[in-house]
Amino acid sequence: MPVVMFGHTDKNILLQHGITELLQLAQRRGGQLHKLLSGTHIFEPDLQKPLSRCNHRDWLSLISRCQQLHSPELPFVLANSILNNRTIALSQSLFVCANLAGSLRQLLYFRHQLLPVIYPIVQQHGNTLTLQLKPAISLGTQQHFVVTLAIAFIIQLIKQQLGTCHELKVQLTQDCPAFLAHFSGHWPCQLSFNQHVDAIHIPRSLWYQPFAGRDQQQLSQLTRSCYQLNKVLPNQRGVLEVLQRRIRRALPQLLSLDAAAGALGISGSSLKRLLQQHNTNFAALSDTVRRDTARLLLLQGQLSNRQLAIELGYSDEHNFRRAFKRWTGQVPSQFKNLPNPL
Amino acid sequence: MWRQHLYKITLTVPLLSAGLLLALSLGVVKNPLEFDWLDILGEGVVLLVALCWLSLIISSRPAGRVSEWLYYGSLLLVCSFFLDLLDEFIRYPTHIRIMSWLESLPAPVGMLALTYGLVGWHREQRIINRQLQGRELFLRDHRLLDPLTQLYGVNYLYAVLAREMALHRRQQQPLCLLMLGIDHFTAFNRQHGTAAGDDYLTKLAELITSQMRCSDVLCRYAGDRFVAVLANTNLAQADIIGLHLQQHLRLLSAAEATLTVTLVATEVSQQHAAQALQYAETQLNAVKSKAHAAVLQLS
Repeated sequence: MPVVMFGHTDKNILLQHGITELLQLAQRRGGQLHKLLSGTHIFEPDLQKPLSRCNHRDWLSLISRCQQLHSPELPFVLANSILNNRTIALSQSLFVCANLAGSLRQLLYFRHQLLPVIYPIVQQHGNTLTLQLKPAISLGTQQHFVVTLAIAFIIQLIKQQLGTCHELKVQLTQDCPAFLAHFSGHWPCQLSFNQHVDAIHIPRSLWYQPFAGRDQQQLSQLTRSCYQLNKVLPNQRGVLEVLQRRIRRALPQLLSLDAAAGALGISGSSLKRLLQQHNTNFAALSDTVRRDTARLLLLQGQLSNRQLAIELGYSDEHNFRRAFKRWTGQVPSQFKNLPNPL
Repeated sequence: MWRQHLYKITLTVPLLSAGLLLALSLGVVKNPLEFDWLDILGEGVVLLVALCWLSLIISSRPAGRVSEWLYYGSLLLVCSFFLDLLDEFIRYPTHIRIMSWLESLPAPVGMLALTYGLVGWHREQRIINRQLQGRELFLRDHRLLDPLTQLYGVNYLYAVLAREMALHRRQQQPLCLLMLGIDHFTAFNRQHGTAAGDDYLTKLAELITSQMRCSDVLCRYAGDRFVAVLANTNLAQADIIGLHLQQHLRLLSAAEATLTVTLVATEVSQQHAAQALQYAETQLNAVKSKAHAAVLQLS
């Protein structure tokens, strides 16, 4: 069965799941509704309908217009209002889970209902769970906004449910802003900018602390409504996500363009065109996957360079070392000893 | 804004077409070979710029005396430039002088009207500056405004604070910061929605600015935190201002719940603005966590 993928023109974002909130927030900050919506396929009457949807291009252009309002708090406030929206079954179900682990699992399973454009790579090393957040389709200049939104959502959930978030660590790819007040005000945890990946590290001590409002019955009820919503918002994955997962699964073999296209049920040239629309190409994707995998394997720390080279499909360890230096500017042994290596 | 000026806009079109008709009835159209394209380009650009001024005035100024002067002044300029451009295409008989008068007379009159309007604007701006006291100090940059509360944001605060610190150090005057944080604002947002939260922030900003002295400036620091820079004020005075604000804020209720506010006054003795703000922030956090611990102990 071919995988169900989505691109920029697929309508799989529910207006009630964040867009109406974004518009209200923007309007209170001086944005005008008709200007925010102009050029998109969203019309004012749609905003009242419970099941109307929009595509990703429109969503991204809405975000870019909201960014022009110069309100740096917007992603934080938006995350807050999506999380606490009583009409979103998924958000409500997160509060009645048994603990953070259950809550995050629920979020992971139904994430296509809230934020399909971001996918996490979950990794555990030592006493920390790391969620690496990657774009599932190309997000352009709006990527930082969307990533901040996703991380703010998770941090807000942890803050509300466990009352603490000092032990979290957040890494962002974006440049360090001139004034950190907004970040440090909303995220009182360890923050680093200019990193290779967007990630949030959650210590093990937080996973299984029981939630105060846990309620099995309510959870199953809300989960049922989430399943019902799946009929309108089917579980689809972004193009880049599907491809990167396939490339990763094929390692140590290198997946060829034609093989990947065959698995998706399209021709090689169609895939090339598709990737061009996302401002990338197959070689770059494949390189990114190897880079990320190399970092994660290095962090687990048991493999030698030689073994790593084999795992990643390099002919010998020198080639691997050279590639690694190209990715990170450091050789693998230096990288391992960094305080904050991801 | 432009809807307030509908009759003014409708006046423009007949005026310009009357000029065009008059020119056509008096003169004859030149042969295209006689056109001097460089002149046409120059005069065309001048006309476009004048039209641009006209539309900016219409789209940004509310109706009123100053706007009328500015508008009619620029309208006369536009007429003059329009006729000026027309005579590149139309030749008038030499004995008819009316067109050249119509060309050259409105321009100086329009300039005078525009200048009078600008003087009025200058006076108006002085009044508005007084209205903005408490929100603005020596610098104006609309891109630094927080769009929700209409206060300046953190970038502005840094710029103003750095300058004030240097000035106060030189004059050896005390300078204080008042940092203000809303207690349990996230919980309030969660319970009543972000709309209620935004509403409260706006009201709070209004109330505090109305209670500030004219030498102070209030900025939105981040989220639920505000910072006031209190010039020529020592710590004891700043504490009194804090108490005064605290009393006033009790009157402000939001969506069935009364939010409380924690205020911390600190004296600025640090070298850099960032350090001073950091110090104020840690003080505020300390007070908040102490209050939180006290509540936990009571319960």
